[in-house]
Amino acid sequence: MDLFKLSYYPFLAEAKEWVKEQGVSVEEILSDVIYERARRRAIERIEHAILKGTISEAPLTNEVDCAMEIFSYPIARMIAVSFENEYVLRRYALAEAKKAYERMKNEDMQFIVHIAEEFGMEIKNDAIHFSDYLRYAPTWDMKWKLVNRDLKDGYVSVAKQEIARLLQEAIRKKIYDELAYLYAPPEIKRVFYNDILRLRSKVVVRKEKKIRGDASFPDFPPCIKAIISAVKSGKNVPHVGRFTLVTFLNAIGMDEDEILKLFSKSPDFQEDKARYQIEHITGKISGTVYSIPRCSTIRTWGLCYPDERCKYVSHPLMYYRRKRK
Amino acid sequence: MNFLRKKFYSYYLHPSIKFPHRVERREFAFVLFNEQSMHRHISFSSKDGLLNYLKTNIPAHVYYSSAYYRNPSASTMQEKKWMGADLIFDLDADHLPNAKEMSYEDSLREVKKEAIKLLSFLIDDFGFSKEEIEIYFSGSRGYHLHVSNSKVLELGSQERREIVDYITGRGLNIEEIAREKKIYKGKFVDKTIEICPQAGGWKGRIAKTLIKFFREIRNMSREKAIEELMKIESVGNKMAEDIYDALNDERMRRIEEGKLDQATAFKKIVKPLIRKLAISLHSEADEPVTADIKRLIRLPGSLHGKTGLRVTEVKIDEINEFEPLRDAVVFSDEKVKIKMLKPFRIEMMEEEFDLKGVAKVPEYLAVFLVAKGVAEAFS
Ligand code: SF4
Repeated sequence: MDLFKLSYYPFLAEAKEWVKEQGVSVEEILSDVIYERARRRAIERIEHAILKGTISEAPLTNEVDCAMEIFSYPIARMIAVSFENEYVLRRYALAEAKKAYERMKNEDMQFIVHIAEEFGMEIKNDAIHFSDYLRYAPTWDMKWKLVNRDLKDGYVSVAKQEIARLLQEAIRKKIYDELAYLYAPPEIKRVFYNDILRLRSKVVVRKEKKIRGDASFPDFPPCIKAIISAVKSGKNVPHVGRFTLVTFLNAIGMDEDEILKLFSKSPDFQEDKARYQIEHITGKISGTVYSIPRCSTIRTWGLCYPDERCKYVSHPLMYYRRKRK
Repeated sequence: MNFLRKKFYSYYLHPSIKFPHRVERREFAFVLFNEQSMHRHISFSSKDGLLNYLKTNIPAHVYYSSAYYRNPSASTMQEKKWMGADLIFDLDADHLPNAKEMSYEDSLREVKKEAIKLLSFLIDDFGFSKEEIEIYFSGSRGYHLHVSNSKVLELGSQERREIVDYITGRGLNIEEIAREKKIYKGKFVDKTIEICPQAGGWKGRIAKTLIKFFREIRNMSREKAIEELMKIESVGNKMAEDIYDALNDERMRRIEEGKLDQATAFKKIVKPLIRKLAISLHSEADEPVTADIKRLIRLPGSLHGKTGLRVTEVKIDEINEFEPLRDAVVFSDEKVKIKMLKPFRIEMMEEEFDLKGVAKVPEYLAVFLVAKGVAEAFS
């Protein structure tokens, strides 16, 4: 892979190799003026991730630009860790993954397959092994649900862009998992003291800005109540059930942390995965806000437990609004 | 020693156990005779350890974990340290829609059909090889399918649930299976509904079944065909006649190519028909069980304490011939005297028994009836 490509995907093993080969010490990278550009760019990565949820473009015209771009990635990771803040770690991992997705969409199939192989995905003839598919696909979305896919001899047909989407999740997970074990030397905090301070205040503000919804549980429709009590009592709830619940709670103004708290009772709860799902459904990640399924859909999922009021509604939100009046 | 325990003992002296892979990484659990509670968190460092346990304790029920653990005998999940789990499907006659009305023998036959359907999903769609799949008669009312494949070992319960949803057809989007397509011919627009028999997944499965359905209808007498068609939701006499009469050579040819004409009554029946076919195609695998990544399953080769039948391996290619009430029997036909607690009728080892009062029956049947609690043995 040439340097330009590597600078686009600095999380790849090959990019890591390249950095190692340069033989630059952490000390040099944090203090030598030569790397000032890489350090500025590292802060830019973090800042953009926190504020915009993605990574900004940097002009890459020659090999030096590319080198700085690649160096900025390991620095940015160390900065992210020095925040000592879950939210920042998550947000940063996701931002890098989203940027990679945007770029991969324009790559050719061969290149995408190459990256996919690094993530241990088995791909052949435009199809991916179902186990790799299930690990990374947002299956709470009807379109991605395995039952609606072309599955033959163990492989699911996927378009190029879909593989890129699966890779986005694989990349996010990899980056996030790595950050959990990453050690950031104390110098980082010193070198980037001002930037970290400045950005930290933004993180706090952003979290507080959210409005608390005044959700009124007694007015929830029976289907939603049933899902909530199943989740609370630690029963396993099918995807579609979680999907219905999250879309509903989101629509009535509950924020993501509150929704997450509900799910923390569930037996296979993994905060990072659950958070990701919730943010996907509420549109934070995907850009599309998923709407609440209609009663007829909920019924086909076997999750509808109608009461008297349900006779006059075709949508769970309609039930809620009417009852609140 | 009571009758059952004595018989089980004689079996466990020389049992034919089929050991799971990595025995030493599994948790074992036992229920002993005359006890309600389960002895859990037991592990064995060797197969002999397990065989000795069986001989010494003569359990009524024997289970092992589908999961592998670093410390299988630890008492909490956290300390056990989950490493992975086989994929297990549980087919139980109790989950059949009309289980209550069927006799034991009939329900066993029905659930075997479910197992065959499930096999086709696992092999054709999921691509497992026959060597990776093992089928066991559960010893009572169903079958278990075990899949051991390195790619599925570490799948979590959400991913496993997706697999069950696939097999049971849950969440299937019918709109995607029969797509409306416009064909422009100069000024005119011709609308057809397209299905794809060559596709994989449910799309192909349903398309093939749909074509087969129309082929069968065409080969039926008019009367019979109309009767069949009227079984589809929202199809009345008139519509059924229209469809049957419209099913000429040309139309049949188009259907075989995957084109269902929009203009006719066909349009109206496609969706209810797909719904009907989907129900007949899906398999009744138990969802919570399959998605559970730490459940206990019966040990192949052990005896079921409520029937005395053995948890018996069924060869994939011989599943059609498998008869649980013959092939899972381990005891002799030596005559034993028993007292029936209520009248009972059953066919076992290809012989009819109609029993009441005091009777002399083969040992295997005596064990079965006593285990079931419908008879008592004389000591
Ligand atoms: S009718 Fe609608 S609102 Fe009522 S329980 Fe069913 S899905 Fe929920």
